[in-house]
Amino acid sequence: MNPDRHISRAFDRDLEAVQALVLKMGGLVEQALSDAATALEARDDALAEQVRNGDAAIDALEEQVNTECARLIALRAPTASDLRMVLSVMKIASSLERCGDYAKNLAKRSVVLGTMPVIEGASGGVRRMARQVGLLLKNALDAYIARDIGLAEEVRQQDRDVDQMYSALFREFLTHMMEDPRNITACMHLHFIAKNIERVGDHATTIAEQVIYLATGSLPSDERPKGEAVISGNGG
Amino acid sequence: MKDTNKIEARRVQVHYGQNHALRDVDVDILDKTVTAFIGPSGCGKSTFLRCLNRMNDTIPTCRVQGLITMDGEDIYDARVDPVQLRARVGMVFQKPNPFPKSIYDNVAYGPKIHGLARNKAELDEMVELAIRKAALWNEVKDRMQAPGTSLSGGQQQRLCIARAIATSPEVLLMDEPCSALDPIATAQIEELIDDLRAQFCVVIVTHSMQQAARVSQRTAFFHLGSLVEYGETGQIFTNPRDPRTESYITGRIG
Repeated sequence: MNPDRHISRAFDRDLEAVQALVLKMGGLVEQALSDAATALEARDDALAEQVRNGDAAIDALEEQVNTECARLIALRAPTASDLRMVLSVMKIASSLERCGDYAKNLAKRSVVLGTMPVIEGASGGVRRMARQVGLLLKNALDAYIARDIGLAEEVRQQDRDVDQMYSALFREFLTHMMEDPRNITACMHLHFIAKNIERVGDHATTIAEQVIYLATGSLPSDERPKGEAVISGNGG
Repeated sequence: MKDTNKIEARRVQVHYGQNHALRDVDVDILDKTVTAFIGPSGCGKSTFLRCLNRMNDTIPTCRVQGLITMDGEDIYDARVDPVQLRARVGMVFQKPNPFPKSIYDNVAYGPKIHGLARNKAELDEMVELAIRKAALWNEVKDRMQAPGTSLSGGQQQRLCIARAIATSPEVLLMDEPCSALDPIATAQIEELIDDLRAQFCVVIVTHSMQQAARVSQRTAFFHLGSLVEYGETGQIFTNPRDPRTESYITGRIG
């Protein structure tokens, strides 16, 4: 009796294969996000173009994950932690696919921003935020591989930092727009970029929650800590 | 009445000679519910099932200790007649085993020996009702005098179910009732089991975990003579609490 392995080794191979796909997706998404932020700061249109074209591969992987999961459910009738693994893999793949879209959108806007005057300090702030979110994503996926609830919980907590970074950027862009209305177009694009990166952080949190579900059988019940919301007063 | 305990077992131990087959089984089996017993071969699930209608009494080396009650009455009490008990606790076996008699006589046998019918008309009615409940009536109503063995395997198994419920038992025990049947006949029996739970307390032993998942509301997992985990079927199959249950239902130990 070896509780780590199925009696059917083909079942183990199938489960490992589908997890490998989702991790490959994660790698592509992390790279896309970091490349898109670099392209924005360096005004590197070629790199931005590469990110835009790369999204198709991420989408294709998600489809492959879904096909493989459907096959696993049909042929292997997974139960208990195997079932939770299949369900969580599908959720994680769908989250990663959305993150890929956000990176692609960032790249698209960075090409447009390349034709506009530079907003002082903005692209650096965006890149720092992208790096932080990329780290969350990486930690969430590492937590998934190791079924590490502690690390997953940390990701949930750290998303608050991202929310705060977003709020700070939001105020910064607002100031730029109020100072000089000619900055409005660029700042609107930058704001969407910041918002999208903030959304990637939320997806990292979703993945972390799936890790907790996979390991324990239930989603964390407590409300996730939220950073300062941009809702009141001058903040818009 | 849901959530009433039909059968309660406390510290049940079974020995076959020197072999300790069942250890300290505590379980409450709900009325009007399908309870599935799962576990690898030799885990004690069939042994426990056979305790519930005292089938083990027929094995000379078998010793049953502990307390098993039905509706609060000790079924191993000296005043309980095992034959009468088995009229209240029907049983269906792995292989369909109709008597070498007509379809009618197979089902009429129980009510006859227990003297449940006052006359032929009443007996006819009982037979028809049991066969209807077993979802077999439309297939056999025109050939009630044909031998039970002339039916297909799936029909024979439904005939055995009709025979088991003809005495109006309160509990129906099924020991691998579908393992000799094809998938269509299996689906028909499973559908029937789902109907039967409106009236009976059904306990089924099955090697097919998917079958346990499909037909039961409660699942008990036995391993090496112990009841490892007992709970709501959905919980057992999505989030079992005991690692041994997890290993078994995910196909890691057998």
